[in-house]
Amino acid sequence: MSSEGFYQEFEVFSKRTDTTPLQYQFSLLAPNHEIAIVMAQENFMRREPVADIWVVKRSDIRKLSRDEKHSLPRLDNKDYRNAKGYGYLRKKWRKYEQDMLDEKEILSWGGTENIEKE
Amino acid sequence: MKKKFYHGEGRRILKKNDQSQMDSMERKVLIELLYQLADDDFILAYRGSEWLGLAPHIEEDVAFSSINQDMMGHAAMFYQLLEDLGEGHVDILAHGRSSKDRKNAVLLELVNGPGHYLEKPKFDWAFTVVRHYFYTQFKKIRMESLKNSSYQPLADVAVKVNMEIYYHLLHWKTWFMQLIDANDEARNRMETAVQQVFDEFADVLSYGPNGREIAEAGFIDKEEIITQMWKHQLLTVFESVNLSIPIKIKTKSGKGREGFHTDDLAVALSILSEVYHIDPAANW
Amino acid sequence: MTETVFNQQLTEEDNFNLFMLRIEAGEKIEADDWMPDDYRQTLIKLISMHGISEIMGALPEKEWVPKAPTIKRKLGIMAKVQDEMGHGQLLLRVTEDLMKPLGKSREHIMQDLFSGRLKFHNVFHMEAPTWGDAGLIGWLVDGAAIISQTNMLNASYGPYARALKRICAEEVFHAQHGEAIIMALTEGTEQQKDMVQDAVNRWWEALLMFFGPADASTTGTSKQDTTIKYRIRSKTNEELRQEFFSKYIPRVLSLGLTVPDETMRFDKDQGIWIYQQPDWNKFKEIIRNKGPKSQERLQLRIHSYEESEWVRRALSK
Repeated sequence: MSSEGFYQEFEVFSKRTDTTPLQYQFSLLAPNHEIAIVMAQENFMRREPVADIWVVKRSDIRKLSRDEKHSLPRLDNKDYRNAKGYGYLRKKWRKYEQDMLDEKEILSWGGTENIEKE
Repeated sequence: MKKKFYHGEGRRILKKNDQSQMDSMERKVLIELLYQLADDDFILAYRGSEWLGLAPHIEEDVAFSSINQDMMGHAAMFYQLLEDLGEGHVDILAHGRSSKDRKNAVLLELVNGPGHYLEKPKFDWAFTVVRHYFYTQFKKIRMESLKNSSYQPLADVAVKVNMEIYYHLLHWKTWFMQLIDANDEARNRMETAVQQVFDEFADVLSYGPNGREIAEAGFIDKEEIITQMWKHQLLTVFESVNLSIPIKIKTKSGKGREGFHTDDLAVALSILSEVYHIDPAANW
Repeated sequence: MTETVFNQQLTEEDNFNLFMLRIEAGEKIEADDWMPDDYRQTLIKLISMHGISEIMGALPEKEWVPKAPTIKRKLGIMAKVQDEMGHGQLLLRVTEDLMKPLGKSREHIMQDLFSGRLKFHNVFHMEAPTWGDAGLIGWLVDGAAIISQTNMLNASYGPYARALKRICAEEVFHAQHGEAIIMALTEGTEQQKDMVQDAVNRWWEALLMFFGPADASTTGTSKQDTTIKYRIRSKTNEELRQEFFSKYIPRVLSLGLTVPDETMRFDKDQGIWIYQQPDWNKFKEIIRNKGPKSQERLQLRIHSYEESEWVRRALSK
């Protein structure tokens, strides 16, 4: 038996409810996906509700290397991408006696129910 | 899969909410059935708990323990039904009854393997997987039937118990399928275990001496129906892994439903009630 | 965030200095980050011992799982011992990731335990002959474990800190499980009360030893300076022991129990508990697997691992 033969690494993710995003839990060792998935809930979610579980073989995950992480930071000069860069419109609309359609206003159009669910 | 159950040979059976709606025979056989249900889960949960810390894999140790806890929880619910029928406190029923009063199937009381659980136990994982898988498959069918039990409190418990069996079945079936199809060594061990379990399984399927009355009162489907459905479920799985079900399913070591047990049970009872017996009246 | 540019051009010394800046700024080190070899080795030693102690710690309590006196107690202790195994799982995973660059896996951890190279905690070498011991382990041994584990909740190594967060959340249940057993006994019959007092007397020395010697002068080596330097823990062994006394001695006494040390008292002027030192030579023997139950428990672990070797062999790729 090779030392890695039975002990394969799996990463476990779960959803608490159908509508919540997938969350990372922890890693476990198992010989294959089938065993991994029957181990997952009892090892990491014994005391909480679960709506779904994903197990992913760690060797199938492509992560950023230490060097590649240097590719992540950006300059703080991108106001044009955000509502923040257009805040001056509020003043302009006021001149036309109109309210600005800001984030709060626009997101409210989906109805209050949607907001509450989030 | 669609299941059809025929309670009491097609007669319309009235639902019973408590014992005032039963005659003395009905009450007697209901109690008998409840002891079978409670004692089965209790003793197998106990056997499972002996594995704690010793399973073949740490992650499995944790998962297996949840199943044992669930099963002991189920036993507690069945003992509670007995307590409600005036049989005595749940903990007396679980700890205070002797071997001859126990109604669990003999298969479920057998040791996990030779040796004491604290000294060089030669626990057999193949036997554990097969015993639990076969029993859980049976339990699933039994609970499906009990959901329509004429005794409403039992039907209510069956609905709850049934909910947790999905995971148990998935868990044991996964281990069964994986080991039966692994290497030759595992195949041999698993086939030996399959034989061992079939040699005792008739006792699990049995309702005991009053089986006919139990079914006639509509408490559960007839023994033959449950047995057929159980075989049917196994057959599909067996065909996929090239195994066959023996024509004769036996009971080699005793008749648990009638109170004929092995020494394994007597030893287990003395361990599990050791502290209880220090002072049964005390609050622990 | 501190600037974290570690690359090959940097000298070991630069890397080390940046590493120290990061942990001193309260940043977390992750498994793939650069770390000094000394840090990695310290973590491996600490966390593998912590993890394997959880696994070995399941054994003394496991003795009482089938024997618990009621269904409720059976379920409670099963769930508790299950958690210990689960904590072992979490901690071994953290260790295994640290060992991976060294070409080692869980198999090596188990073999190191079997050969005696990997030690397990002194407290799990002791006997647990009665149900009172089962309660006492849950109450005071877990109480001590909570104090030593919460001391590392802010550990500089992220994966360890996260595992500890999960563990400590469950320890709250363990402490209450232990208290429930103990209080039922101390409020019960004389025989039950005696059971607890006997257990306290039996475990007292092991509890004093729990946090380890105050400094290296007692046993020759101590890792506590290194672990404090690397921000893995914040308090010394003696500080933790004093904290344990402050939290638990009043509770022990309030239940009508005594501690087997007549010299024990709180000195108001110094603000510390005065107590009789345990026999630290005994401690050294115990952690060399020469305690009362060391060999028996180790053999049980080895034996069960060998018995199920075929399962792992069968499912190996």
